Amino acid sequence: MIDLINALGKNYYYFAAIVLFLIGFHTMLTHSNLIKKVIGMNIMETAIFLFFVAIGYINDRSAPIVDGTPKTFINPLPSALILTGLVVGVSLTAFSLSLIMKLYKYYGTLDADEIMRIRSQEE
Amino acid sequence: MIVLCLLTAFVIPLLGKIKPQIIGPLVRFVVLINSLLTFITLWYVNKNGMYYYHLGGWEPPWGIELSVDYLSIFMLMVINLISLLVLIYAQKDLAHEIEKELEPWYYTLFILLIGAMSGLSLSNDFFNIFVFTEITTITACGIIAVKSNKVCVEASLKYLLLSTLGSGLVLLAIALVYMVTGHFNLNFIAAELPNAVSNFPLNIVVSLALLIVGFGVKSALFPLHVWLPDAHSSAPTPSSAILSGVVVKVYAIVLLRIIYNVYGIEIFTMIPIAEIILALSTLAIFAGSLFAIAQEDIKRMLAFSSVAQIGYIFLGIALVNHFAVAGGILHIVNHALMKSLLFLTAGAIIYKTGIRKISDLEGIGLKMPITMILFSIGALSMVGLPGFSGFISKYYLVLGAIDAQKPFYALVIIISSLLNAVYYLPIVIKAFFGQNYGTFTKDDIPRAMLVPMIILGLGTVVFGIIPGNLFSLVQKAAEILLAAN
Repeated sequence: MIDLINALGKNYYYFAAIVLFLIGFHTMLTHSNLIKKVIGMNIMETAIFLFFVAIGYINDRSAPIVDGTPKTFINPLPSALILTGLVVGVSLTAFSLSLIMKLYKYYGTLDADEIMRIRSQEE
Repeated sequence: MIVLCLLTAFVIPLLGKIKPQIIGPLVRFVVLINSLLTFITLWYVNKNGMYYYHLGGWEPPWGIELSVDYLSIFMLMVINLISLLVLIYAQKDLAHEIEKELEPWYYTLFILLIGAMSGLSLSNDFFNIFVFTEITTITACGIIAVKSNKVCVEASLKYLLLSTLGSGLVLLAIALVYMVTGHFNLNFIAAELPNAVSNFPLNIVVSLALLIVGFGVKSALFPLHVWLPDAHSSAPTPSSAILSGVVVKVYAIVLLRIIYNVYGIEIFTMIPIAEIILALSTLAIFAGSLFAIAQEDIKRMLAFSSVAQIGYIFLGIALVNHFAVAGGILHIVNHALMKSLLFLTAGAIIYKTGIRKISDLEGIGLKMPITMILFSIGALSMVGLPGFSGFISKYYLVLGAIDAQKPFYALVIIISSLLNAVYYLPIVIKAFFGQNYGTFTKDDIPRAMLVPMIILGLGTVVFGIIPGNLFSLVQKAAEILLAAN
């Protein structure tokens, strides 16, 4: 038990990432409000980004900017990938919010279950 | 030469905004050039063997690497040729499906989609795979939502949320792999993994599982398929054809490449993950067919049939032997031909008569004979009649199942062919011999729509009778995949 707590204390960012991921995942799957779904999606993505950045960073190493002084560098690729991921995340959020806006215009509600009900009545 | 393929695809949107009326022809021209370039690459690879292209001259692990082998060229050919035909079809069909001022945007999304899919099938590192996956997802959602009616927007949102979930899982898997290997390049990871697997077996198994679920969501493997029927049936016809014919397959190809080239058969068979995929694909084949039987809308039926066909491809991947993998890859091209043909003919029927319900199709064969004959070709090929291309891939899948000593799956394929017959043949029979026959007339759909359909129909028949060239290509791809271990 103490080992477990020790391990968690040392790797607290992994733990935080996993907790965030679960919160996001749960929100995305269980809530019927579409905006909440998008928020859950964002939390989940952020958790993954945190996880990725955490494993990409090594203590006492610096970013790979060569300025003459000798030091050890970290691999910049994970950070670059996460930078891309952030951009993608923002555009996905914008796209889904715009779609939700359109849905609201058509149905007058943001609730996924409500929309399903309206659709089944129409058919 | 490959870079040109991608770059042209990305330059188009900028150019197209200035002069909207030239975009259509321009896009078709670029895709035509892409197809020609693909053939040149095929010739080159046939002569010199496969090679890696280093972008910007940087060697891996620093630079970006594209792998040009038989598998990626095969996929490029499918992507470019099918989209060329679909684009020719689109120039008439789009006018009545979406608004006039949206057409340039539609073409922009379409060409981006083609570029992203080409990149996905070529790229040899996880970085690019992730980036191109996201581009493919967003553009695919875009070409569904472009029609902007209730159903489309809802389907697109569903697709968007689920595939974001999928790409999140893929990114997590990439993180886990990076954790133990320290590389993004597939070749380097493949070299590192045998050492890593003894120290961190959990990481690798979990990442493999996450990759399969992530790409499974995107390629609509059975229990994860919920977004597909809505999305594919509500989209404009050219989108349906390209989405069902090509887009879901690209993810299957990426998964195939990752499983065989990176993880290798040993890790793949270390845990019973192959059996899980086999069970899921069996379920997919049956459930897809059964749901398709119950549908009334013709495009919805075709979409559910896609779920079943994805099952065949994953069956080929998971049977882990030469015949089955070749059969699975071959089914990708066959299904692309057949399903595009079926969607285009269905679109032509809707274009001309506005009928979407299957029960209203009675006697349509006499009003639109050419369209319905082409539909029948596609349907018979789906069922797997000898002489049509669907037969060849099913035959090799059966051979693979017997070779893997799992004759149960051979039985699955045969029964599912009968199920396919249950929902395709009544349409054909009703169309030609229904009660409600009118006078026998010539169908006057525009030539731009007719020609691609005829080419696809001819392709189905020709590859069914003489599959030689295509099959040797597929066989080489399968050999390379299996020889990597």
